Amino acid sequence: MSLKSNALGILLLAGCASLYGCAGQHSEAALQQAGVDFQKVKEDSNVLRIAPKDVIRAGESLARADRLSTYWGSGADVVHYAYLSQRYSEIAREHTNQALNEERAAKLELERQRLQLALRESKLLSVQQQGKWLEEQIEALATTQTDRGLVMTLGDVLFDTGQAELKNSANRVVLKIVQFLQLNPKRVVRIEGYTDSTGGKQENLKLSRDRAQSVADVLVDLGIDEKRIQVEGYGDQFPVDANASERGRAQNRRVEIVFSDEKGQLGAAR
Amino acid sequence: MRLTEQAIVQAKAVGATADEVPEMQLAETKYNRAKGSMADESYRNARMRAEQAELDARLAEAKVLTKKSEEQLNVLNTRIVRLRKQLQLGEAQ
Repeated sequence: MSLKSNALGILLLAGCASLYGCAGQHSEAALQQAGVDFQKVKEDSNVLRIAPKDVIRAGESLARADRLSTYWGSGADVVHYAYLSQRYSEIAREHTNQALNEERAAKLELERQRLQLALRESKLLSVQQQGKWLEEQIEALATTQTDRGLVMTLGDVLFDTGQAELKNSANRVVLKIVQFLQLNPKRVVRIEGYTDSTGGKQENLKLSRDRAQSVADVLVDLGIDEKRIQVEGYGDQFPVDANASERGRAQNRRVEIVFSDEKGQLGAAR
Repeated sequence: MRLTEQAIVQAKAVGATADEVPEMQLAETKYNRAKGSMADESYRNARMRAEQAELDARLAEAKVLTKKSEEQLNVLNTRIVRLRKQLQLGEAQ
């Protein structure tokens, strides 16, 4: 194939000068152009690999045109076979480009499937994490069911000593309460503040009420309607543990959130 | 003539139209002229026109198929870019 084509190329080059008069200027140019086109596809290893039949036909037509060009009065035939040769070269090129595109597409398709799988996995992971988060939230809200209703206790550690402002460490639990209230729009809450027995009665009443109010404020800030929130301060009343020990006093310093039932019925205040 | 007709039918089957692919226009014109030459009993002209029309049609078909394979590549590339972007967004979160 290669040898034959090379021989043909040389023949073409050698023949051209003398052919000028044989087949005319028009056929001469056509033959030359077909030769150039054929040379290009013949030297392309991809074309030879993918479209060998088209290359062979281009060569055969070119050889025919070349042979005819040595005869007088054969101009039209030379142009015709040169045209066919050029067409075969072009078809070979198109077939090659198409096949190369398909080869690349096959690789890209594998890449696409790999990425799609990775994306699905990452989405699944985030959904699982979300599911876990919701579960924790429910656990945290699964507070004690007392005769007062569903009660959630915010511990002493969420406030600084003597201060009413809720610390940043309470953000997580506050967000959970907000989400719970958003998911249960009919429920209302009563926020109750308590202190230990250290300090004066009036101070303790005020501190307990201020702490309860600061929890209520945060809930309102986060979008809960204030009409759904009652606030009470009980000072050192209703201790849950003895005030004799530090541990007991810490237990007594607390804010309790009493949730109504699903219909919005809240137990009576103490 | 039969081969030419087949080539034209095949090219049309993959969606080659004379309006969009110039080679298809050539193929149809030459095929009609070839039929005219046959009617005039100008067999040599008929054969040459039919042969050229056949290859014009085959080239038209090949060009349409190459274009389709390019479009397929573009679609795949677009999808891959989008997937990579989404994966990066996922990692950033």
